[in-house]
Parts: sequence; C-alpha cells; structure tokens
Amino acid sequence: MLKLINIKFRRFLFILGLLLIISNLNYAQENYKETVTEPDIHPTFMWSVIQLIPSPQWSTSLDGMKFGMRWQVTPILYSFGINKKLSPWRYLIAEPLVRQSGSVELYFSPEFLNLEKNIKDKWLFRGGARYYFPLWQRGEYMSASLAASYYNFNGSNGFSYEAGIYLFAGILGIQTTYSPGFNHSEWIFTIRLKYF
Amino acid sequence: MRKKGTKKINRKDGKSQRKLFVVSIILLAIIFNSCTAILSTSNSVGSSISTLLSSPKVIENKITNPIRDDARLAVLWVGHATLLIQIDDKFILTDPVFTETTAFISKRLVEPGIEPKNLPDIDVVLISHLHADHLSLGSLDMIEPKTKELLVPQEGLVYIPNYDFNSSEIKLWQSWEKDGLKITSVPVLHNGMRYGIDAAWLDKSYTGYIIQYNEITVYFGGDTGYKPETQIFKDTRNRFPNIDLAFLPIAPIHPREYSGGRHTDPADAIKIMTDLNAKKMIPIHYDTFAEAYDSTGEAVNTMRSEIRKNNFTEDGIIILEIGEQKVIVPQK
Repeated sequence: MLKLINIKFRRFLFILGLLLIISNLNYAQENYKETVTEPDIHPTFMWSVIQLIPSPQWSTSLDGMKFGMRWQVTPILYSFGINKKLSPWRYLIAEPLVRQSGSVELYFSPEFLNLEKNIKDKWLFRGGARYYFPLWQRGEYMSASLAASYYNFNGSNGFSYEAGIYLFAGILGIQTTYSPGFNHSEWIFTIRLKYF
Repeated sequence: MRKKGTKKINRKDGKSQRKLFVVSIILLAIIFNSCTAILSTSNSVGSSISTLLSSPKVIENKITNPIRDDARLAVLWVGHATLLIQIDDKFILTDPVFTETTAFISKRLVEPGIEPKNLPDIDVVLISHLHADHLSLGSLDMIEPKTKELLVPQEGLVYIPNYDFNSSEIKLWQSWEKDGLKITSVPVLHNGMRYGIDAAWLDKSYTGYIIQYNEITVYFGGDTGYKPETQIFKDTRNRFPNIDLAFLPIAPIHPREYSGGRHTDPADAIKIMTDLNAKKMIPIHYDTFAEAYDSTGEAVNTMRSEIRKNNFTEDGIIILEIGEQKVIVPQK
C-alpha cells in the first residue's frame, strides 16, 4: 500500500515538475518574443518630386566640356549591408544607408547630353548594375561604387564603366563614366545627387 | 559666311550652357542646403559650421575604470544622451556617440566623458531613436567588441547594419529580459526618422526605456517633448510606480514653437519627472554638440533656476559634468 502511494506520489511530483517547466517556458516566451518589423518603405509625393532633380554632369567632346544632366531609376536593389534580420530587397526606393552600406542595384538612367543640335538627339539611355561598398561609418559618411552599363545614344550602343565616391549617406557624390567606344564623349563626370 | 553662322551657333550653345550651368549650381546649393538641414535634424547648420574649426573641450582626468564596487546604482555622463549606467554587476550604455561629429555636420563641443577602450563589457546598449545624435554607426564600431546586445525601438533595425553583437527591436511596452536585467520600451513624444523622407513610414521608431535590475528602476527618456495634455508619462508611472532615477533631456530650448512638442526644456523635464513620480532626475541632452539656437550653458542655467523655482534640491535633480560619475544608490 505504502509502495503504491509512493509510486503515485512520485508520478505526481514528476507531472508537477513537468508542468512547472512548461509554464516557465511559456512565461519566458511571453516575456520577450523577438519581433522584426520590416519598414513600410514606399514612394511618397515628396520622394517622387525629388527624383525629378537631376544630377549635373559634364561630358568631354571635341568642342570641350559640355553640360548635361542625369536621372536615375532603380528597379531593384539587393543590400548586403542591411541588418540580416530584414529583407535585403528594395524596389524603386531604397534608404540611403541600405544602399551605401553595401549593395548591388540595377539602374536605368536617362541622360541629357548637350552634344547634338536637336533636343530630341541629346538623350542617352543607359541600363546597368552598380556595386556600392562602404568606406567610413558603414557607408554613411563615405562610400564608393563601381558600375558597368550599356548605353544607347541616337542608335549607337556600347558599354560604359563607372566609378563613384559619395558623402552624406550617398546624397552627394562624384561619378566618372568611361565609354571606350563612344566617339561623342568618352568621359562623363557627374555630380551625383541622390536622396532615396 | 559659313564661318559666321558657325560662330553664331557656338555663341548660342555657349549661352545655353552657361544658363544650364547656373541652374545646376542653384539646384546644387538648394539640395545641399536641404540635405544638411535634414541630416543635422535639430542642429543648426550655421552654428555647426562656425564650430567646425574649433577642437572639442578637453576633459581632464577622465575616468579610466568606471566599475564602482561601492555602488548599487552609478551613472557616468559621457555627453548628450550617452550614459554609462551601472546597476550592481550590470552595465547599460544609452545612445552611444563617441564620434567627432554627428551626421558629418554637427561638431562635438566637448570630448566624450570616457574613452570607448575604458568601457566595461556592456550588457545592453539602448538606442532611443534613429536621429544621428543618438544612433552613431561609427560609435557602434568603436564599442562593438564590448557589446553583448543592442536594443532599438520598433522599426529601428533598418538602420543597424550587421555587427558582431546581436541587435533586436523592442515594441512599445514590450520587455526584454536577460539574467534578471529587464528593459521595457515606454512611450515618449518625438519622431523616428533619420533622413527626412523616411518619416513617412518610420512612425514608431522612437522610445524611452525602463531599466530594472535587483529592484532598482531607472527611466531613460532619450529625446522627448512634453505636452500638458499627454498621459504617456503618467501611464509609465502607473506601470512602474517606483522609479529611482530618470534621465530627461532639457534641450534644445529654442525655438520653442519648433522644439515644443519634440524637445523638452528644463521646465518640461520637471513636469515629466513629476508625472513619472521619479525620486531623482539627471538632465541630459545639452552642451555636447552645437545646438540650434541655444547658447552653451543656457540649458543648465535655466535648469538651476527651475530647481530653485520648483523647490527642488540639487540632490533631487542632479546636474553632472560631462565625464563625471556619480553614485546614486551606494552599497549598504
């Protein structure tokens, strides 16, 4: 009889202990459940207006330096600098740090080059990939980039190579574009203005 | 004739190029100005530029060993919102900024109160929000080897790149706990953006914190405003009725019409202290970086006159020098 009670008591203690462990586990989980909030990044009216601001540039030509302008659309960007708990993908719009802390972006750039007389002939269209890497303070103070692109200017096509350096979270930068087969202008120097 | 025509075209081209050049320079100036204004957030670009060439004030005899065996609660003010808090054997570092500038623009006026190399191992780093004078990526690099854990407000991880330490977000009223050290996110009045436009989607990324360990409760206000009608500080008191010490910002004071809802002045800080029913308060967030329109010493002098006006003592509201360490609760 005593033995039976002892066995029942032991079982009771075992179940009680198990319940205590489970309840403690539950308590610990309730206390802090790690959450990760993806930023609800989306284009706004202000962002759209800012995208219209061009980056001024100067292209070399036989007549000397010619003024021009460059815009940029970024359909897709993959950031390897962003916190690993968050999605590294950005579409159209990317936060300055997400871009400058290390990323690869596909971009499309319409460019105004003052190399021809007719306004409709002054447009160059460029598509390419750019790799950003941080230099100082995770890219927020200073970063650099290397890019390759394919251009079309009044029917002539070719490849370009580009290097850039940026300050202020990439808001202000200088880019140099070299297009070996582009007779109109082999070199383009751009003051890159990009805010988001 | 032909030559003449060519010259005409060239002159025309030259004119249009000059026009475009002038327009681009104006655009550049506007954009640069707006960017710097955004980046410096509350700090004025003008006053910051004026201090760019001056060196930060040197702190003599900086503390090299901040571990206090005689303290249950000790505080070292590193400057601005950066505090090294010791509660028994735990060390908490708030909004660490050790860099020469914030956002490249706002220059440090006074050296950090302790060298990063002299910090003890930090159990948890708390980031109150994402503004450059509270979240400094370069400073996180400096303290990376000593940091065990970093907490940011909800949505804040996006501006925390990958470091060796673990970083986690903490939602409002949520608690994080490890080895008895409990951190709870509590509401403040501020905003959470870093670059300006991101204010459109970062509307939760600012917080205050309650730190609890071994029955000591500390409130860190980070950066907050005050409105008489707000209940958030009373809500915090209701949940945490025994706050031993509150760290509250007291600047920038000016301009009140801009700063009012987002930054407390000394009078507001006293109101928050009262709402929180905190036993003691230490003012922070002044005289470290070039501030908007405040003159150096204005915030602390106003604080002293508010202490007198409200019949507090300097034992209840403790004014620290940058680099000064104070034992708030001694070991018995």
